Amino acid sequence: MADGDKIEVRDVTRIERIGAHSHIRGLGLDDVLEARAVSQGMVGQKDARRAAGVVVQMVREGKIAGRCILLAGEPSTGKTAIAVGMAQALGTETPFTSMSGSEIYSLEMSKTEALSQALRKSIGVRIKEETEIIEGEVVEIQIDRPATGTGQKIGKVTLKTTEMETNYDLGNKIIECFMKEKIQAGDVITIDKASGKVTKLGRSFTRARDYDATGAQTRFVQCPEGELQKRKEVVHTVTLHEIDVINSRTHGFLALFSGDTGEIKQEIRDQINNKVLEWREEGKAEINPGVLFIDEVHMLDIECFSYLNRALESDMAPVVVMATNRGITRIRGTNYRSPHGIPIDLLDRMIIIRTVPYTEKEIKEILKIRCEEEDCLMHPDALTILTRIATDTSLRYAIQLITTANLVCRRRKATEVTTEDVKKVYSLFLDENRSSQILKEYQDEYMFNEIQEPNDCEVVTKREEAGGGDEQPMEH
Amino acid sequence: MSYESWLNYLRCAEKHSMISGRCRKIHYKFPDGQQMAEEYSMDTGIVQRRAWRKCKQLMGEPEWEIELGETSRQINQCLGGGDADSSINNDFTLVESNTAPALTKRITKKNIEWRIRNLPYPVDVYQVTAEPDKRAIVVRTTNKKYYKVITVPELDRCNLLPSQSNISIHHQYNTLIITYSKPLLLNEMEAQVLLLLKDVETETDMEVLLQGLLAK
Repeated sequence: MADGDKIEVRDVTRIERIGAHSHIRGLGLDDVLEARAVSQGMVGQKDARRAAGVVVQMVREGKIAGRCILLAGEPSTGKTAIAVGMAQALGTETPFTSMSGSEIYSLEMSKTEALSQALRKSIGVRIKEETEIIEGEVVEIQIDRPATGTGQKIGKVTLKTTEMETNYDLGNKIIECFMKEKIQAGDVITIDKASGKVTKLGRSFTRARDYDATGAQTRFVQCPEGELQKRKEVVHTVTLHEIDVINSRTHGFLALFSGDTGEIKQEIRDQINNKVLEWREEGKAEINPGVLFIDEVHMLDIECFSYLNRALESDMAPVVVMATNRGITRIRGTNYRSPHGIPIDLLDRMIIIRTVPYTEKEIKEILKIRCEEEDCLMHPDALTILTRIATDTSLRYAIQLITTANLVCRRRKATEVTTEDVKKVYSLFLDENRSSQILKEYQDEYMFNEIQEPNDCEVVTKREEAGGGDEQPMEH
Repeated sequence: MSYESWLNYLRCAEKHSMISGRCRKIHYKFPDGQQMAEEYSMDTGIVQRRAWRKCKQLMGEPEWEIELGETSRQINQCLGGGDADSSINNDFTLVESNTAPALTKRITKKNIEWRIRNLPYPVDVYQVTAEPDKRAIVVRTTNKKYYKVITVPELDRCNLLPSQSNISIHHQYNTLIITYSKPLLLNEMEAQVLLLLKDVETETDMEVLLQGLLAK
């Protein structure tokens, strides 16, 4: 428990955590876009991955705007994994916006505003600009936090080059940046004066002997020369949305940090579009179209779909990848039923990639990868049992058991997870099937069982899917 | 006549002029989108302030960059000072501390002067050299506390290189004063610019107003 407390305190500096898809490092394709069996965290799903590889190629070329790709398949067949793989394969330079279908329902802004912001977040613009930057080695950094924990922080930093040294006062926003980047004395950093962006270039050579051991990724650099403030031609990669926010007068660019951008007027967007096209002609900017990924796309309603129809026709539209696990179901906001819960006219504009359920061998492979990701040593027998559980119940449930079994194993001070541990957590934690079985058996003893639901339109559709695959994933 | 290109650049600008107090302010709008503002003293004809607004692409309206003259200094810039209304000016990202050296530039009839305030070190610490290959004057300190490359746009405009013999330095009251005696060609250029500005129509409202006030 003490461990857990410590982590909470350090939360400000953000520790790396293991997410559902953090084992994925790419699509696992070779040079000719053939899918390797097990590579970069991806297993199986060869056809879908090959198709995704083609899409990645299309995005990289950047010629085609406003294409739509639908990833359709049963729950836990790796739709999101493929999308994450695409993002990784595209690299950090290409904007990849990932959102969930239900994210657009906000009280702060309209649905279409949220969608168009998401669309514009997915178009990057590389702008060459001369800006003033401060580049130097941190001599001393001092951040005073009020004792209450909240309120204004006061920060000071002393930077030096080989020739000079200057003290700076830090504003509140930039203090956050400093803490996020974990800047400490001996780091060589650059600060973009206009945007307040802090980047760590590495550690100074003169500080190379500060610690006995350093991480493999620690880079050592020379202390910069000359003046601290320099004018440099830098290449910014910003998204269209960021330019919108900067230029929407009421907020200014600080709104980017606080996140409350509100609605942005269409006139501003049009102006920006023209400006960007102008810059492109002058050679000052380069457009770098990316990908918008909408997970759970069946959660969008009919208005959003018709908005998308229109928005995708713009030549500033990104490539949109959607994922859904629904079969033929009601389109949200109407009483019509349609494949994947998406209107036919939008479906007509899409190309559909299908994901298929994993075979037992593939499931075993995935579980093995997850074990590695979670630093969990597992006995082959335990892995076989876990695979069995995964085929009987669901892959997600089995993955959850890895974590818990590992904890149980550590409890008895062993290093390798055995079949006993897996059995134990299997009895401790129920899967969806067993849980609903119990509910059915003992329904009479639960509360409010006497009330009969009159309408079960939604329930019927749910049951249909359950027939096709397994339970609803616990994604939200 | 090596300052011809600068004169031509000024000639092609759209100019506005006005008088306020004892100084004449001129605003230039150049065809390439840059703007320049100058303030001339009416008594001496010497330029007191000059600022540029260079067009930036991304961050909306660009700010004025002062090439010459005093920056308007704010008294309560003491942020580290703490309790004095620290909530008001907190939307800055990063500022130099108010103890950091600050450079200002001034032009007099014979010299170009730079004052670097907040430099407490003794005079023998400073090395001020003219570096023609950088087209600049470089200030170094032997204790590695301050370093500055000072470009001299005036000399650039008449295609001259800075020369060591024109530089003299002086240190007093925590301030380093660098004096660069103006070459003849530069004086000539300034005279030419003044001649050029003579033709710019000055808004006379101010004068009428002043006379009205004086008549009372």
